[in-house]
Amino acid sequence: MEEIKPTRVIDARGSFCPGPLMEMIKAYKQGKVGDVISIYSTDTGTKKDAPEWIKKSGNELIGVYDRKGYFEIVMRKTK
Amino acid sequence: MPLNRKRAIIVGDGAAGTILANKLRFHSDPSEIEIVVFGKSENHYFKPDGVQIPFGFKDYRNSVKPTQSLFNYGIQFIKSGIKEFDLDNSTVKCEKDNTFRYDYLIIATGDRFSTEDLPGYEKAASHFYSLEASLDLKRKLSAFRGGKIVIGQASIPIQCPPAPYEFTFQLIQYLKLRGIRDKTEIHYVYPLNRVFTIPNVSDFVEKLMEEQGVIIHKMFNVDSLDPAGKKVNSLEGETLDYDLLILVPPHSGQKVITESGLADQSGYISVDRHHLNYKDYDNVFAIGDATDLPISKAGATAHFQSEYLANRIANEVNGNAFFDSYNGEVACTTITSGTQAITLFFSYDKPPRANFQSKSDYFLKWTSSDTYFSAMLRGIM
Repeated sequence: MEEIKPTRVIDARGSFCPGPLMEMIKAYKQGKVGDVISIYSTDTGTKKDAPEWIKKSGNELIGVYDRKGYFEIVMRKTK
Repeated sequence: MPLNRKRAIIVGDGAAGTILANKLRFHSDPSEIEIVVFGKSENHYFKPDGVQIPFGFKDYRNSVKPTQSLFNYGIQFIKSGIKEFDLDNSTVKCEKDNTFRYDYLIIATGDRFSTEDLPGYEKAASHFYSLEASLDLKRKLSAFRGGKIVIGQASIPIQCPPAPYEFTFQLIQYLKLRGIRDKTEIHYVYPLNRVFTIPNVSDFVEKLMEEQGVIIHKMFNVDSLDPAGKKVNSLEGETLDYDLLILVPPHSGQKVITESGLADQSGYISVDRHHLNYKDYDNVFAIGDATDLPISKAGATAHFQSEYLANRIANEVNGNAFFDSYNGEVACTTITSGTQAITLFFSYDKPPRANFQSKSDYFLKWTSSDTYFSAMLRGIM
């Protein structure tokens, strides 16, 4: 499967909840429809919170990926 | 007077700047280090009382003291802001255009309400985060006869994160005393999928809110306001109408910090988590609400940071070894009903536990402005 290239990458590794989610929401507000936003995080709470927020806000969750020592959450802004 | 007398410049006369100045004065000899504080405030307001003043549960006059009177003997207070920081040459320039050399610089400029980030805020919302706003809200609450109240915060981070839920519990008590609780709907909105940042405290508070009939809206990130239509809209697509909107304003760091290149657009300064140094500067620090540390923006945070930093600087000046570090300690007592409160202890590694509420903790909260002005702010405790 072809990898989707993010429009914006936020490196929030080392930042604690709710920092990474707030960074993602900030990027969402600044972005435009169709943008793909990727966030790197080491905070386990974010792994649950961010997908829930993406769902609640009606955007598209592209995926949650385990990386070496951190995880990546990728979303598409659909509204 | 020794020729090598040092000078510590503290920028900011709020809780962080004042506690640090007073603690450092206690720990050091005036002949060895001069302490100069820059600030512009006439009065020092004990902000935690904002959750009680709007209800008349506390007299605001006990929550305010003249700023100048709060510095211990041996501290110079200069009533001016700082407009330029030259860290490479260890100087700052004040708003009166005088330049001051320092050996230690501590930035304690706090944060500000950036209401420009939320158009319509001034017309639509009330809050309790300043004395003026609390007294204005007191007038609005006195005129309130029932209806729909929406409580929340416009963004994260804010000062004193528990304050919105504390306010809510005090509001319930107030409405009951006035006999209009059954005529009032209380809606609580919060940006996360809980009612407080820390999950176990959130669970505890959420249960209490539900018992008190508070209607909770999670993941409600305030996006826009409609003052004329009395509506608040969330980024997630929810709209709530209201008769009274009590919304903690958006916060950001001070403009001068961003303009000086000490921080990005957020205005919050990045410092070493355990030593509070700014970048590689051994003699430049930031404390209190001015930092971007992942802990509560609260007087209690400033208190613990000041204890660490005053000890560190005093020991350095005295030529003593110092191996301590700051580990994110915070302790705060927060109201959970008309007569009870909980006390939370945090550090970077240990989130607080909320297990029980007590009347003795409420008493601790009730007397905290006295403790603050007489001991904590003075650097005694």
